[in-house]
Amino acid sequence: MVAVSLRAVTKRFGDTVAVDSVCLDIAKGELFFLLGPSGCGKTTILRMIAGFETPDTGEILFDERSVLELPAHRRNTGLVFQNYALWPHMTVEQNVAYGLDERRVPKAEKTERVASALNSVHMGDYARRMPNQLSGGQQQRVALARALVIEPDVVLLDEPLSNLDAQLRLKMRHEIRRIHDETGITMLYVTHDQKESLSMADTIAVMSMGLVEQVGSPRSVYRSPHNRFVADFVGETNLIPGVLSRIEGNRGRVATSIGEFLARVDQTGAAPGDRVLCMVRPECLVINPGTAENRFAAVVRRNVYLGELEQLELEAGDIGVQAVLSNPGEESFRTGKELLAGFKPDDAVILKA
Amino acid sequence: MKIRPPLIAVLVGISIFLCVFLFYPLAYVFKEALLPGGSFSMAFFRNLLANPIMREAIANSFMLAAVTTLLAALLAIPLALVSVRYTFPAKGLLSGLLLVPMIMPPFVGAIGMRQFLARFGSVNLLLMKIGWIDAPIDWLGAARFWGVAIVMVLHLYPVMYLNIAAALANIDPSLQEAAVNLGSNGRRLFRRVTLPLMIPGLFAGSIIVFIWALTDLGTPLVFEYRRVIPVQIFDRVTDMSSNPEGFALVVLVLALTMLIFLAGKRLFGTRAYETLAKGGARAGEKQPGLAGRILIVTAFAAVVFIALLPHIALVLTSLREKWFMTVLPESCTLSHYRNALGHKLTLPGIRNSIFLSALSTLLDLVLGVSVAYLLVRRRFKGSDILDAIVMLPLAVPGLVLAFGYVGGFAGTMLDPRENPVPLLVIAYAMRRLPYMVRAAYAGFQQVGRTLEEAAMNMGSPVPRMLRRVTMPLISANLIGGGILVFSFAMLEVSDSLILAIKERFFPITKVIYQLLHRIEDGAYVASALGVWAMVFLALSLMTAGVLLGRRMGQLFRA
Repeated sequence: MVAVSLRAVTKRFGDTVAVDSVCLDIAKGELFFLLGPSGCGKTTILRMIAGFETPDTGEILFDERSVLELPAHRRNTGLVFQNYALWPHMTVEQNVAYGLDERRVPKAEKTERVASALNSVHMGDYARRMPNQLSGGQQQRVALARALVIEPDVVLLDEPLSNLDAQLRLKMRHEIRRIHDETGITMLYVTHDQKESLSMADTIAVMSMGLVEQVGSPRSVYRSPHNRFVADFVGETNLIPGVLSRIEGNRGRVATSIGEFLARVDQTGAAPGDRVLCMVRPECLVINPGTAENRFAAVVRRNVYLGELEQLELEAGDIGVQAVLSNPGEESFRTGKELLAGFKPDDAVILKA
Repeated sequence: MKIRPPLIAVLVGISIFLCVFLFYPLAYVFKEALLPGGSFSMAFFRNLLANPIMREAIANSFMLAAVTTLLAALLAIPLALVSVRYTFPAKGLLSGLLLVPMIMPPFVGAIGMRQFLARFGSVNLLLMKIGWIDAPIDWLGAARFWGVAIVMVLHLYPVMYLNIAAALANIDPSLQEAAVNLGSNGRRLFRRVTLPLMIPGLFAGSIIVFIWALTDLGTPLVFEYRRVIPVQIFDRVTDMSSNPEGFALVVLVLALTMLIFLAGKRLFGTRAYETLAKGGARAGEKQPGLAGRILIVTAFAAVVFIALLPHIALVLTSLREKWFMTVLPESCTLSHYRNALGHKLTLPGIRNSIFLSALSTLLDLVLGVSVAYLLVRRRFKGSDILDAIVMLPLAVPGLVLAFGYVGGFAGTMLDPRENPVPLLVIAYAMRRLPYMVRAAYAGFQQVGRTLEEAAMNMGSPVPRMLRRVTMPLISANLIGGGILVFSFAMLEVSDSLILAIKERFFPITKVIYQLLHRIEDGAYVASALGVWAMVFLALSLMTAGVLLGRRMGQLFRA
């Protein structure tokens, strides 16, 4: 198990910069997520760590040792492919044993390790099957076992759940997290699914167009996005445009067309007089707040009742605002109803426009 | 992907091989023909055209190729249209049988046909019996041209059929439906939509058939039809050092085939519309009425029967004991088979052929897999050029290459007059390299890139990854392609006839050719040997077909 570091890694394909001087530090034993839309460079980073691509500039370090001179087959990474990439001419057992063969593991030990890897992903009964006799979820488990059995320095997962149906995906999230916690192995997980990353990650790096936009815990990425892209990509959000009028400690005062709001300024680097956005998540909105500081009048445009939740589309002045109420009660929000909405300054963040 | 040193070594190796054994002999032929004594001269071509025999040979060859192409197209178009449009009983079997003549060597078929078309052979006797003709037609004399043409058409129409059928199958049914929707009726639909879309396939097929007919040596040789370019070239191999006419002829043939080939490529390049629209279900193949079904099945069966006639004739000839003035032999014997195997040239010939073919297959496997790997997995600058070059042997007639080898390597350690083994192996391999490359190419494309990456990720360096993952997954393609190369090499005519000069190096085809001319019952013994060869070829191609499946047909398309 190792810590993995990227130092100013850049990779171009022709004229496009796939990865733009990216720095990352993945701690030993961490479950680290690269989150971003397709084409943002996250898979390229994973492939560079695995040794299938070579950075144009920059360094990749395993425990402070550069691995750039090591070819893919000597990196000792365990890669789980999006399409599983199980060899169709080998049984499940042979697939999993392959990496141990390459490492000249004695036969008795090999048998034991293959069996225990298959058991840990609940595929012990399928050792003699061929891959094409397995369902997608089962193939996924075998691919995972194949990557884990070699006790790699780091496990790399490339959108491993994207080919599974929704229910199975939920189940596999827990499985992978459980395996991570049991083995304590360093894992790098690439995905475009923000729910997956929020629910599983120790640390998330959000990427866009070859750049790392923000690195942090799921909570900090969700609650304190550094910019508009992260706010938009991780979860639903309202962005109310305005002008920053004053900063008081870590709070800023924003003048908008629907009122003056107080919100956190965090790391946005905005100065008084700047055009800014006041970001507030739909579930942070409160209807008919008592004496909350940030209040505005709105009209209901649409509502969707979901049982445990109720989604409201509000219109305040010329701005559309989304709200989600948990545990909705008897009160009905028919279209055209006028109401007051509000949010706590702690739940809102000021972002550069 | 960066090219690493071992791959550069492979690339350099392949380039050297192609330069020495493909470009050098061709360049040598050009040099001898155009630069006699070091200065440019067209004198040989003037002499060539001044010689009435040569003029006749050139004219004959052109007529032969044109007639063969035309007749093959006329035969293949209706078959292709029917097979794409209609379902009928035993369609799979009949469509498959339709292709069999293509893989049957015309050289041995011609031996059988020669007996059939003899002055008092089966065809004349049958025609006289029916009363269509009064006196026997001298197919092998004055009408020899038609004898050769018929054998060639019967051998080559499947190539045409495959190409046309492929073009027709590529036509998106919605294009035709669109035309009908806009008010076209059946005839207009054919003329305005189907025909134009079919033309690329027709052209592709025509080019292959034309070049093949223009450069085939075996068939005219068996028919003793000597006034054609290939036979004239063949006759000049022995005295090529003193008579430069051969070089001029070879250059002429090469220039022509290249021109036709390139023109064809250019034509398709600008007309890539046949696969414009894709998707949607195959148009429902229509089921014709009972009369239609009977008509179609009869027609298909008849074509198959006629196309296999040369080979049926071959079998009958090989079995004949007495056969005089009757349509079928009066009594049969197996003695020719015994004699065939007993002749002093036969067993060494078989041994030589197996040895040479095995070596050339091995060589093609190594070359084909390396080239296909570079082309599929390591696209690099210039890979398109490599792609085009390895396909080039398709356009270089065996005759031309063999002639270049004899001339270009005379006096070197590879001189075929001393020991033809290395050059025979290389010639066989060179001619079939395109097929092997395509078979391997298809294999690599089917094996997902990630399967290989997974192996490297698990710790395999590239060679072991290839051995444990890639090779097992493409083995069916490789074995199929290998069998194809092997069986073609076993029955290769022009290289064998030209390059094998000493008797102890004769491959089986040259033995058959020699037997045909030397001994009293030569034709029958040669036929028996031909039947052995056919049986062998049929078996190996069936195996290849099973392994390659549908992909086999694709190997014969332009």
